[in-house]
Amino acid sequence: MNTFLGPNDYKSPLKPIWCPGCGDYGVLQALYRALSAIGRPPHEIAFISGIGCSSRIPGYTTAYGFNTVHGRALPIAQGVKLASPELLVVVAGGDGDGFSIGGGHVPHAIRRNVDLTYLVMDNQVYGLTKGQLSPTSPRGLKTVTSPMGSLEQPINPLLTVLAYGAGFVAQATPADMPGMTALIEEALRYPGFSFVNIQSPCVTFGEEEQQLRAHKARMKPLASLGHDPANQLAALDLARAYGTELYTGVFYRNPEPPPTYDALVRLRQAELQRGEPRPRARVLEAYLRS
Amino acid sequence: MLEDLVVGMVGSGGDGVVSAGESLLAAASSQGFYALMTKSFGSQIRGGESSCRVRISTRKVPNPGGVLDVAVALNWEDFRRFGAELPLGPDTVLIHEAKAGPPPGDLAPPGRAPRQVLAVPLAEIAKTAAGTDRAKTTVVLGALSGWFGVPPEALDRGLMKKFSQKGEGLLEANRKALAAGIAHAAAHPLASPRALVHPAKPSPKLLCDGNEMCASAALFSGCEFFGGYPITPSTEVMQILSRELPKYGGVVLQAEDEISGVGAAVGASFAGKKSMTATSGPGMSLKTEVLGLATIAELPLVLLNVQRGGPSTGLPTKPEQADLFQAAFSAHGDVLRPVLAPTSVEDTFRLTVEAFNLAERYQTPVVILSDQEIAQRKETVDQIDVSRFEVLERLRPTPEQLAQGYQRFADSPSGVSPLSHPGMKGGNYLAAGIEHDVKGAPTASGAVHAAMNAKRFRKLEPLQTRTDLFERQGAPDAPLALVSWGSSAGVAREAFVRARALGLPVKLLVPYLLYPVAEPVYREFFTSVRRGLVLELSHQGQLYRVLRMFVDVPAGMTSFARSGAQPFRVDEVLERLQQQAEALR
Repeated sequence: MNTFLGPNDYKSPLKPIWCPGCGDYGVLQALYRALSAIGRPPHEIAFISGIGCSSRIPGYTTAYGFNTVHGRALPIAQGVKLASPELLVVVAGGDGDGFSIGGGHVPHAIRRNVDLTYLVMDNQVYGLTKGQLSPTSPRGLKTVTSPMGSLEQPINPLLTVLAYGAGFVAQATPADMPGMTALIEEALRYPGFSFVNIQSPCVTFGEEEQQLRAHKARMKPLASLGHDPANQLAALDLARAYGTELYTGVFYRNPEPPPTYDALVRLRQAELQRGEPRPRARVLEAYLRS
Repeated sequence: MLEDLVVGMVGSGGDGVVSAGESLLAAASSQGFYALMTKSFGSQIRGGESSCRVRISTRKVPNPGGVLDVAVALNWEDFRRFGAELPLGPDTVLIHEAKAGPPPGDLAPPGRAPRQVLAVPLAEIAKTAAGTDRAKTTVVLGALSGWFGVPPEALDRGLMKKFSQKGEGLLEANRKALAAGIAHAAAHPLASPRALVHPAKPSPKLLCDGNEMCASAALFSGCEFFGGYPITPSTEVMQILSRELPKYGGVVLQAEDEISGVGAAVGASFAGKKSMTATSGPGMSLKTEVLGLATIAELPLVLLNVQRGGPSTGLPTKPEQADLFQAAFSAHGDVLRPVLAPTSVEDTFRLTVEAFNLAERYQTPVVILSDQEIAQRKETVDQIDVSRFEVLERLRPTPEQLAQGYQRFADSPSGVSPLSHPGMKGGNYLAAGIEHDVKGAPTASGAVHAAMNAKRFRKLEPLQTRTDLFERQGAPDAPLALVSWGSSAGVAREAFVRARALGLPVKLLVPYLLYPVAEPVYREFFTSVRRGLVLELSHQGQLYRVLRMFVDVPAGMTSFARSGAQPFRVDEVLERLQQQAEALR
């Protein structure tokens, strides 16, 4: 039975708490459309997030959502996916959640290649706590915690995620809704860990050049540059421009996706189960001495 | 004749004293004795000092034993490092490597020096008999067999098992060393003979340690997911489950850190699977935030904390009972998280099953507070009839509930609401660390928060009357009380038996449920009590203090507590009880 599921079937009755004009509204709309295009019923989707403005997003969908603790969405999502590999598992959060407090989890989720889609709404500022420096804030940014301007070099999410070995890496902006929708859909379909860095403007605390109007003027689709998404080295090179250029599209897509961790785990289980394990009620016999 | 023998052996890493202890344990258990072995090391990975303590008895062994009956020292420097872990007494037979020289004068406190000291040229005997001094611990086994009646056939069978894979030469050499040790004992009889009585009827027993027992109970309980990070002294649980769980379709994730380990387990629980994590104090500190998440999202989770000395890195290889405050109280907000404590390898099984059952029934994280001694001591256990254990599953929504506007956090008289999981059509909801209404929608309403807190606490009210999670012995109206938990309870049990034999009006209470404090159980127990002790291995006496928080503890109840790595001895507990009994008059 395959009934058509429209974008509205993924929309929950909860009203977002985001500021009017927040980029996350666009992300949410794109996500509804991408999920509809994929057509998995909402109850087969687990949508995991951390803490931050963008981490509220699971509640605005009809999927099973888990709005967890700050920075821990990836470990929790991996637990969900390994426990129930048949689910479509989506992870979302902000740049602070993913690259500051939760930064230690990113390389491990990637190297394991658990089949997750990780959407980071990168606004280069802490919005929920009202305007502090974030790990992707540009050097020199004046915020309430860097009143004289930041002395720190920002992390480059694209470059790090590529370097960790992610099989699918893309960047999107709500300034290009069709492009973002297509990228999210493609990420969801990629068999393995996929990452989309979404430059999602913070209308309240963000800089002028981070707003949608500026995005529209600045953005350069990678396809228009003739970039081949199968070329990992070229992707790394282009990713270095994070913070100066706004490239959109797929930086890298592994043309031969390796087996996912969840699939390998299932294979091993199947192998071991053929050995007919001792029934659970008799496990203690392993320690019996006579 | 002896019914109980406590042997302690100390050497440098590589001497093989632990391996000799294992041989002794295996030999004794194969002959139908009850036996128990603890190991203690410095924290070096290789080399350094190592020791073991083996207790062999015709009756169930409640603890590793206090003062040694037999002490074996291969050198004095290492022996000294174990101090109070291997106490000597006037009746201890002290056997030492002859070439180490006589025992230093300050080896034991005044009046505690062993009267019988036997210098044995262990290395020399080994060299002569086996051609290598590396067989000296096998000589020790032979001597112990000769002097204390450990059956030589069983030791020989042990050698067969151990060395048959390693070549005929090595096996033969060790057999010769064993025979030489026996011959030495025969040629040098003890001043007063001490030999073990043989058990009447040997029956097959289990031989395992607490971590093995815990992992087995997790498998028995239907655990499907384990997320964790290696940490002494709990790592063996993850190691065993890594090997076993996939056979049952389960998953073990060795995570990148402690937080990720518990996070993955909570994720798997959200996905509908029975989940577990294991750690020790430092890891528990890191996992705390995610435990709070499991509390508010009402997700079942079992967390094993094998306590070691703290704070911080503390004493990673030694036992302490100083994580009770942490287990019960490490949370922000109002949190009630059940804490269970096994007291032996055997009851680790039952309490692990109980932990899974409580977690699933009440949709909450549950902490099992084991400790290094229980977790890593190997002991004989009578076969456990597992058919008497019920395995509970979480309450899931019915098809009707799913079809008619399912409410994940619907309030109910018990506080428990049906828990759906991804994949279940109609059960879709938002789980969250943020406070939420009955449907899971985030809220900042004080009234909803109060109602949800009340619901989360109400779920656990039935624990107040779980008298089966307490062990009570002695006359109910006894005025003298002994209360103890965890590994110290094994010492308390033996002290209790001896105190009663001396005619002391004493009763014993061992809580397996530490938190929430089951107030009615303690109120009833303390009604007759005028004097007593709470025995535990922590500087602060954490159970004593927790009890005083919740219960009117009689003024005459005192804390007998000290820091870890200095296990209690039965004789000193008995002495304290006698003092308390005198104060009753």
